[in-house]
Amino acid sequence: MSQRDLVAELRAAHVEAPPEVRERVRLVAAGAPAPPRRVTWQRALVVVVPAAAAIAATIVFTRPAKQQQQQTVLEANKPVRIQPSAGAATDRAAKAFAVPSPTNRVQKYEATLSLRVEHARDVSDGVKRALRIATSFGGYASSVHAETHGSRAVADLTLRIPRTRIQEAMAKLAQLGTITDENVSTVDQTALLNNTDRKIARLQKQLAKLRAEPKSDGNDRSIAALVKRIETLQRGEATTRRNAHYATVHLHLETPPVTVAQKHGHGPLHGVGVALTWLGIGAVYALAIGVPVAVLLGIVWLCVRIVRRRRENALLQI
Amino acid sequence: MTFQQAAEAHLDDVYGYLAWFTSDRFAAEDLTAVTFERALRLWHRFDPDRGSVRTWLCQVARTVALDHFRSERRRTRREELAAPPEAIDFRFAEGLSPDLESALARLTAGEREVVALRVLLDLDAGAAARILGISPTNCTTRLNRALKKLEEALHVAA
Repeated sequence: MSQRDLVAELRAAHVEAPPEVRERVRLVAAGAPAPPRRVTWQRALVVVVPAAAAIAATIVFTRPAKQQQQQTVLEANKPVRIQPSAGAATDRAAKAFAVPSPTNRVQKYEATLSLRVEHARDVSDGVKRALRIATSFGGYASSVHAETHGSRAVADLTLRIPRTRIQEAMAKLAQLGTITDENVSTVDQTALLNNTDRKIARLQKQLAKLRAEPKSDGNDRSIAALVKRIETLQRGEATTRRNAHYATVHLHLETPPVTVAQKHGHGPLHGVGVALTWLGIGAVYALAIGVPVAVLLGIVWLCVRIVRRRRENALLQI
Repeated sequence: MTFQQAAEAHLDDVYGYLAWFTSDRFAAEDLTAVTFERALRLWHRFDPDRGSVRTWLCQVARTVALDHFRSERRRTRREELAAPPEAIDFRFAEGLSPDLESALARLTAGEREVVALRVLLDLDAGAAARILGISPTNCTTRLNRALKKLEEALHVAA
């Protein structure tokens, strides 16, 4: 019999598992759990695409509201840039400084206004214009301080402007630059003055009473003391009224701070070079340690495989 | 493919492979059941991209059979001291001539295994080599040696 006939006869042989084995295997297979659903890219797409669409829709529908909110917040925080020609902006600035002031009351008004201008020469111009504004409203400058260092300039002015025209003055001063800080404080001093008036009236009554009495050394001393006290109170009252007549405005003008780029001694790719150097060092170490270890592991694996194969061959008597 | 379908489709292949490998009908029946029990436990590891279900089941069956051979060798060593093993009358398949049956019985387990895989199950050299854990060339060499041995045994019988 040739080898071809031999293979043909062997292939023609049919081996069938006995019914008992078939039943046993069927029982085993019956206990198999339902196959887990495999995650294919088509199935993943079915989930991912609607989810992405839902997320995108949520973003699209919710973003405008957020933007609007952010814009409102930004506008609230943004410094007010008052253009000389912008009438509405001027009105807004005027309203910002508007503090109700009844004419029959004495109030102490103090304001601080910080403005930012673009160039150093704008600071100089701003100082001149602020002084002109102060004088045009019947006020004056109580102090002026200005300094320039290259492109950086700062000026601090203390202006005294009649209380009745302070709102107009502040609106004009605000036009000198971009407002970065503002502070207004008003202290009512009418009650204090009324108190002083009452005190003076009481003292004058006492004085009239003393003058009506017969003259004596003690009486003269008391009259002199009372007169002195009344005069002091009247002077203080006059000073308070005079001070209240003028509002104090602290005006601060400055150019934006110059940001100086920090110079390093290395180029922009220095970090990449350092990183590559360390990577190279790491690679050398990895090679020095890793290669012998890998070779050793390979030899061990080969030995284990040979031993296992020999044992298996011996078991099967090949 | 579900496990039930795989078991149904390849039960005869697994049984035939184990029967020829062990040349023991009773052992083959037990090992077939054990193979499918183990295959059920390992079913989640089966990857259709790495090979067919039949190849994978034969790999499981081979592991089970090798464990059986190891335990049989230990048992035989103990029992040979008391009594020599009895010859088991085993028929490899229906339709084989008695000479071929006796020639197959003279082959070693390793030779019968490669004949079962390449001839009975008609696996290609690559799939059979993957089951045996050897190269396809080595697998073909083993098959040729086994067939030559069979041929010689048939000549002697004739």
